[in-house]
Amino acid sequence: MKKKDVLVIGAGIAGMKASLMLADAGVNVHLIEKESLIGGQTIKFEEVYPNMECATCMVAPIQQDVLQNENIELFLLSEVQKVDGSAGNFKVKVSKKASYVNPDACIGCGACYEPCPVSLDNEFEEGLSQKKAIAIACPGALPNVPAIDPEYCLHLNGKKKECKACQEACVFNAIDFTDKDKTIDLEVGAILVATGFDMFDLGSLDQLGYGKFPNVYTAMEFERLYAQNGPTEGKLILRDNKDLKSIGIIHCAGREEQGYCSGVCCINSMKFSYFLKHRISDAQICQFYKDLCIPGKTHQKFYEDIKKKGVEFSYYQNIKVESKKGSLHIDYKNGNGKQESFSADMVILSPAMIPRKETEQLAKILGIGLDESGFFATQNEQLSPITTEKEGIFITGCAEGPKDIPESIAQAEAAAGKILSSF
Amino acid sequence: MNGSIGVYVCECGPNIKDRIDIDKVIEEISSKEDIKTIKRFSLLCSNDGKKFLEDDIKKEELTHVVVAACSPKDHEKTFMNVCGKAGVNPYLFQLINIREQCAWMIPDKEEATSKAIKYIRAGIHRVVLHNPLEKIEIESNPDVLVIGGGISGLEASLSLAGKERKVFLVEKTESLGGMAKKLSQLLPHQGANLSTIEEKIKQTEKDENIEVFTSTEVTDVKGFLGNFEVSLKADGGNGEEQKIKVGAIVVATGFRLFDPKEKPQYGYGKIENVITALEFEDMIESGKILLKNEKPPKSVALINCVGRDDKGYCSKVCCLYSIKFAHHLKDKLSDVEVTDFYIDLCLPHKDDQNYYEEAKKKGIHFLRTGEVKIEEKGGKIEVRYKKDGKSESISVDMAVLAPAMVPGEDTSKLAEMLNIPVDKTGFFKEVHEILDPISTPIEGVYIAGCALGPKNIPESIVQSQAISGKILSSLIPGKKIEPEVKVSVIREEFCTGCQTCLSVCFYGAISFDSFKGVSVVNEAICRGCGSCVGSCPSGAIWSKHFTYPQLYQEVLAALK
Repeated sequence: MKKKDVLVIGAGIAGMKASLMLADAGVNVHLIEKESLIGGQTIKFEEVYPNMECATCMVAPIQQDVLQNENIELFLLSEVQKVDGSAGNFKVKVSKKASYVNPDACIGCGACYEPCPVSLDNEFEEGLSQKKAIAIACPGALPNVPAIDPEYCLHLNGKKKECKACQEACVFNAIDFTDKDKTIDLEVGAILVATGFDMFDLGSLDQLGYGKFPNVYTAMEFERLYAQNGPTEGKLILRDNKDLKSIGIIHCAGREEQGYCSGVCCINSMKFSYFLKHRISDAQICQFYKDLCIPGKTHQKFYEDIKKKGVEFSYYQNIKVESKKGSLHIDYKNGNGKQESFSADMVILSPAMIPRKETEQLAKILGIGLDESGFFATQNEQLSPITTEKEGIFITGCAEGPKDIPESIAQAEAAAGKILSSF
Repeated sequence: MNGSIGVYVCECGPNIKDRIDIDKVIEEISSKEDIKTIKRFSLLCSNDGKKFLEDDIKKEELTHVVVAACSPKDHEKTFMNVCGKAGVNPYLFQLINIREQCAWMIPDKEEATSKAIKYIRAGIHRVVLHNPLEKIEIESNPDVLVIGGGISGLEASLSLAGKERKVFLVEKTESLGGMAKKLSQLLPHQGANLSTIEEKIKQTEKDENIEVFTSTEVTDVKGFLGNFEVSLKADGGNGEEQKIKVGAIVVATGFRLFDPKEKPQYGYGKIENVITALEFEDMIESGKILLKNEKPPKSVALINCVGRDDKGYCSKVCCLYSIKFAHHLKDKLSDVEVTDFYIDLCLPHKDDQNYYEEAKKKGIHFLRTGEVKIEEKGGKIEVRYKKDGKSESISVDMAVLAPAMVPGEDTSKLAEMLNIPVDKTGFFKEVHEILDPISTPIEGVYIAGCALGPKNIPESIVQSQAISGKILSSLIPGKKIEPEVKVSVIREEFCTGCQTCLSVCFYGAISFDSFKGVSVVNEAICRGCGSCVGSCPSGAIWSKHFTYPQLYQEVLAALK
């Protein structure tokens, strides 16, 4: 008998939207997420173009719908281990890591964080802040249930067996140190991949000074820095506490190395300028670009509005970030071929979007190929960017290549549509 | 007071218990309010808590329920379900948020307690005025109307048509295929050739669940999700009228190209051998890339962004097809000099840049300039441009213009007929640019492809497939649809017929009954947003779950 269940890998915006559409049609969805929260990268954004809506707030109702939908079974801290079979009859093995917190008992009050004696870098906050060994990623994270990092927890890693500070603080008996990693077997008819993207490693571009000079930030770090629910609660505090008066935003970091334009960084960088001008009206801001790739029907207007606000735009070649007398300098060749320099208190780099590091491994498990850039390969010759060489397996969102949120959602819903019309 | 009201205070573990004096809340409320019972429980949302609540509602034979606990975002649905199970209409219930709004934000316990008491009192005075609301079910038609027989319309039709769902595909011209059929070839890295499109046309024509109407126009649309009635007229809108019934409508009416004659600086229509991209596609198709004098060009300029500044947006696909032309020219006429004039290279897809690099390797010149000017000089075409601040020019045999994509000519007419908005650029406007790029404010009406704005073929196809998903998951054959119950009602005796409400309704749910002289809400379309309620100068519109008496008593009790 053909299975009508669907496996969705990744609970970012694409995975969530696809899951909801399938669930609405009465399909049983098994949604696998590697992290302990859902929402993916979108929830890291304080605001998104074009309406400058708070992304966290915009996505929260979708997250709630996913958590409350009876047709969606969510597996957090989980990864796909093995896939056998073919369209209509896939047999899937999922490994689920222990969270050591019983989600049915936990109400998310947060009483367990404070007593925990261990602090570690918070990856969700791009390492800009610390979290405890038992924590949620950021205020407002959903589900509002923490997980314990067994590598750092003193009780679980055996460094101080008697530490049960979180368990003692929890009045709901939600902490369960006996929780074990599990393997789950699923049978599904179709598989939808929505594993998203990573950011280009800027440490490999020495000339841009990331990691060398404290006030050089990645775009994602800046997103968290100005997020109200971020590590500084939205205050623009530089790593060296310097006053912020001039900002250089460098586009296309890693574009040449990757061999493609990511399509979204120009407008995202303009969003930063919009925000910065709003916050520090006399700030001197210059955006250094190679090509302005702003293909949306409202994007160009936004660009012109920002220029009117006094944000400068300069074409660049051969760019280099230097530190002279405690101040950052951006040295570059402008559109007329002249050597110029811009002095900045802060430099924000817009890196290329690249395939997630697990992509190759997952492609092997699924039995599908990769394209030249390392993203999942799809059937371009069929004019279909979401189907793969293997029937019943679909690729959506940034797992297929860089794209913006609406395009990711369209692909996710398209894959769900394809699955529904095949059932 | 009518009915028996029960109030339940959740301790939420220590969260409410430690920061609000629940004993004092119970004492105050039970002594001053006309209620049947007030009780506390450790954690009402737990399984034990829900069981307790259900049993107690039955035991006390309550008619109305107030729960003082957390945010409605967390557990309003939970407790409404418990009420339903206990035999109380879920709308005769009110959740009071004494956690986020009192316990968690007021450090002073006494102050938090006093605020919680006010909130609960307000809830009691409100809930007693609640009306039981019942879900209604409406029959729905699963069939779909697709407007436009281009690549988006074909894809939508093919993915929707099936045993239990008929598709009516209406095309204005006499043949299917749209703009894509006018292209000589697709981009090599985006799809091998045009046979995919020919294949889709054939499939559509022979699919017995798709009825194709060519040379036909949509002349009228009435109704709502699941129940639209559409008038069609054959012979380009002059023929016989035909009525069809459908449950959903897909608008896939595509785009036109900007007319370069609007910009005299390009010399189009005046200077020989200045042609548009579509004219060049025809040349490739016919295999004859020739000048007016029947000789092959020795030099060609490709001019991008024609009309971009006027329209105020970048059309996304022109850079790439100009590069396609460049490749083609170099492959067919090996000694031709090709220069591509661009402002910004917009190559946002992961395979695009490589295609561009390959063109450079073939010896194609790419010139980053501002806008260019085309003049005739000695029987040749002179392209004037600025480079590094200096004015320069080159002389070529042929210039190919890449004009901006602009909205289809019927866009505003259709928008009015369907009661959906267009944006500042003249394309249809999506209901939410980010989260719902293919839906409109009118439920059951969707937009696909370039009718929404410039995009490439795969993106248009994806949008059509996404719409199929929306329709397949919301309009299931044999399944009735359940509209929102908390809708607006118009009290006819107070309505003066000013029609202010019609202009504020985002969903097109209000119409005007000119015989009675009053506005009428279609409950199947209304989503209960309340915009009309606030806008009505005579106070004639009430929202079913937010009536003026309910709100008045709630506020009064809170301020007491």
